[in-house]
Amino acid sequence: MRAAILMKQFALALLMWLGCQNLSLAQGLPDAAVRQQLIEAVLAEGEDQPEKIEALAETGSGMVAAVLAQWRAGNLLVDASPDGAKVLFTREGIDAVRLDTGVKFSPLAPREVETTSKTRKAIKNALDLIAVASPDPELRSAAIGKLGMTRNTDYLPMLEARQVKESDPGVRKALVEAISVMQLADEDDVVCIAAVRKLGEMRSIPSLDLLKGMITSEDESEAAKAEAAKSVALIESYLKKVEAAGTVFRGLSAGSVLLVVALGLAITFGLMGVINMAHGEMMAVGAYTTYMVQNIFGGGLTLSLFGFGAHVPGMNLTGAAYQSYFIWAVPASFLMAALVGIALERGVIRFLYKRPLESLLATWGISLILQQLFRLVFGPNNVQVSSPSYLSGSFVIHDVVLGYNRVFVIGFAIAIVFVTWLLLTKTSLGLFIRAVMQNRMMASCMGVRTERVNMLTFGFGSGLAGLGGAFLSQLGNVGPNLGQSYIVDSFMTVVVGGVGNLIGTICSAIGIGTVDQTLQSVTDPSMGKIITLSTIILFLLLRPGGLFPTRTRSLEG
Amino acid sequence: MRKPENLIMMIGALLLLVLLPCLNAYGPPDSALHVSDYTINLWGKYLCYGILAISVNLLWGYTGLLSLGQCLFFSLGGYALGMHLMLKIGKLGQYYQAGNNPLEMPDFMVFMGFPELPAHWVPFHSFGFSVLMVFVVPGVVAFLFGWLAFRSRIKGVYFSILTQALTYAASLMFFQNKFTFGGNNGLTDFKTMLGANLNDADVRRYLYIATVLLLIAVVALVKWLLGTKFGKVQKAIRDSENRVLFSGYATTSFKLFIFVLCALIAGAAGALYVPQVGIINPSEMTTDKSLEAVVWVAVGGRATLLGPVYGAIFVNALKSWATTAYPDYWYIILGGLFVLAVLFAPNGIAGLPQQIKDIAVGWKRRNASSIEPGATPA
Repeated sequence: MRAAILMKQFALALLMWLGCQNLSLAQGLPDAAVRQQLIEAVLAEGEDQPEKIEALAETGSGMVAAVLAQWRAGNLLVDASPDGAKVLFTREGIDAVRLDTGVKFSPLAPREVETTSKTRKAIKNALDLIAVASPDPELRSAAIGKLGMTRNTDYLPMLEARQVKESDPGVRKALVEAISVMQLADEDDVVCIAAVRKLGEMRSIPSLDLLKGMITSEDESEAAKAEAAKSVALIESYLKKVEAAGTVFRGLSAGSVLLVVALGLAITFGLMGVINMAHGEMMAVGAYTTYMVQNIFGGGLTLSLFGFGAHVPGMNLTGAAYQSYFIWAVPASFLMAALVGIALERGVIRFLYKRPLESLLATWGISLILQQLFRLVFGPNNVQVSSPSYLSGSFVIHDVVLGYNRVFVIGFAIAIVFVTWLLLTKTSLGLFIRAVMQNRMMASCMGVRTERVNMLTFGFGSGLAGLGGAFLSQLGNVGPNLGQSYIVDSFMTVVVGGVGNLIGTICSAIGIGTVDQTLQSVTDPSMGKIITLSTIILFLLLRPGGLFPTRTRSLEG
Repeated sequence: MRKPENLIMMIGALLLLVLLPCLNAYGPPDSALHVSDYTINLWGKYLCYGILAISVNLLWGYTGLLSLGQCLFFSLGGYALGMHLMLKIGKLGQYYQAGNNPLEMPDFMVFMGFPELPAHWVPFHSFGFSVLMVFVVPGVVAFLFGWLAFRSRIKGVYFSILTQALTYAASLMFFQNKFTFGGNNGLTDFKTMLGANLNDADVRRYLYIATVLLLIAVVALVKWLLGTKFGKVQKAIRDSENRVLFSGYATTSFKLFIFVLCALIAGAAGALYVPQVGIINPSEMTTDKSLEAVVWVAVGGRATLLGPVYGAIFVNALKSWATTAYPDYWYIILGGLFVLAVLFAPNGIAGLPQQIKDIAVGWKRRNASSIEPGATPA
């Protein structure tokens, strides 16, 4: 919370500084005059106040923008001076700054300057107008887009004037779009049709609804309607492509989480032959560890352990230090899940290596116990894991929104696959792992400490599940049943890929993730899931070896 | 070994079939000898689970196929009879009585906005057809799935994972409203069966007796089957399928037969379960339920004739008690029980006497050898 306030103040300060720059460069209105105009607008009453506020925008002054923003946030106050005159001032942190002179002073009896809904709207419009002149191209495009959507033709001359001197290509595009949208309402049919065509050529998604409205509208000429229909068709086909690309991207990121989880399972199940039904709960361990780390970096949290409240103190960090929690949470969740996995291996699974079906049952029992423990300790509801700021933004490429968190998950999954591959093929531990998995007796005879290798392998597999959980906390909900929804999927992934084959697991995870997301967006989520599952079942019934069957001469496989 | 088991079976059958219902019907209401209607109903439920457990055991204990889909067949049987009971509500339905349901459709269909009774529901007006479907639907599903699975020689854990996926997919399907089986809420609020009021104590007692009879029949069938040559082949498949295969037996057909048979048994158990419990919904066919049925077998004793029944009764009685006494810890108890049973009592309750005997013998021998250090170890 504190971080957010700090950021806001910083942004305001920046805005003011930029505003001053602008002012001294361009418009040439003296500072004092702007301030006077501002005060008049604030103190004006009744009908003409909105007009006066909007007129402020024409000054183009950054200082005006800053003051208006303060006003909107409730930081513009009025104080009665000893001589009865009203003194306006803004709150800058703990200081009060007079609006008329820009000097700090101590107010006597301050109260907020009240706003009506009309005033607020006017403030917003004025801010938009000022933002159109903002030096940051992104802010400019966003402001222009907003103005376009108001369809208020009063802005048209201003936008056209902008178009002449604008050099940034992104902003130019936004300008053309905004102008065309406004021209749709033009009386002249030629202008209107040209605008419609322009919007179609631009594949302008925001104007789709407007164009659709034109087709059914009674006021439009036939020619305009026909042109609108053409443009709508163009935009709709473009929109479909954008949606398809978005779906594929979401599928890739879902597949990446599945990949990290299934990679863990491919190791414990594919290589070791242990059916770990508690693998999903290892994910939940990872996700809850992320939650714990987040709270330790923040304000701490109280856990209920069998009726006793245990308070975990927090470090009360803010800003970048707090935001960095996720970087610590990732290795922490790996370690935590790996430790739980090792405990599980030592405590239960090592007695069951010769009885795989029984290991399925025993680990299911463990998964029930773990789920209930989560419920008891963290409560039966989902817990909130916030995204750090560097993961909550997004890129937009050709109207396809690529969330940073999803891009991050995909990148990290690639890194994990690479590390796993290195570990298995380039290290001595990897050599031992492969040796033990191929022939336990022989490896043992050659002096490999098979018990230790088993323990580490299982720990590594579980740790990967924990990593999957940490990623999932950035994409979805964290709750006691987190693992349940993934366990069937991840087993399917491993089996479809071909047991004991890591490449196969990678292919099938990405394939299943993408197909699942696509079907979920085409039909509804549960229907998509049903179709995916049925397809997988059928595929496995016909090709039991999966995509890349392991060829072996051994009879029992 | 054989004699006491037979004796236990006879005594158990008499207790369940004669004593309990008699005490329920004729026991003086306030005395300790009276068995309440609630108890009868509860035991009816336990015994249905017992039959389900026998089917799991026949597959897992005697054939080596750990099916995590038995609950699916159980629910399919239950749904088939539930559909009939649903249609028999007819004029007693709330929507009909409010005048909104002239077609006498089940209430949930009116609620979900179905224009008319879907075609596949119509034949379920007939009781005979519904009973037939109790067997046909699970049988056909099991046959198709089993045929594909065994033909591809899917076995061991892969079979378990695939049956689990099948059950999961089916439960997702039944959760859908448009799948016409009541979605989330399933089928419930039954009124009559064959004209008899299902809430009547006498009717419930008869249903209980029917369950006991089915249980006895299934136990007898399994016992007979295991004694035949078929049963020997079946156990041989469990111990080494390849050897059986190379001896010239078509193991696929054997496994398919057992799989379908077990689906039929589970379906019948489900059909008796539904009128006694009064509801069937998709949560009965989740993978957790299938695994729970496997727990009963593991706790009761795998590959023993009566172990599954003991297990089903013991675990469910424990559940009834623990969910009220320790609601927060029930899953921990269940999970812990399961881990302990798998690790330390591989033969479950039914194998416990033998296990204790073995431990005692081993203990004696160790004591004996420590007293006489000169004795040669066996």
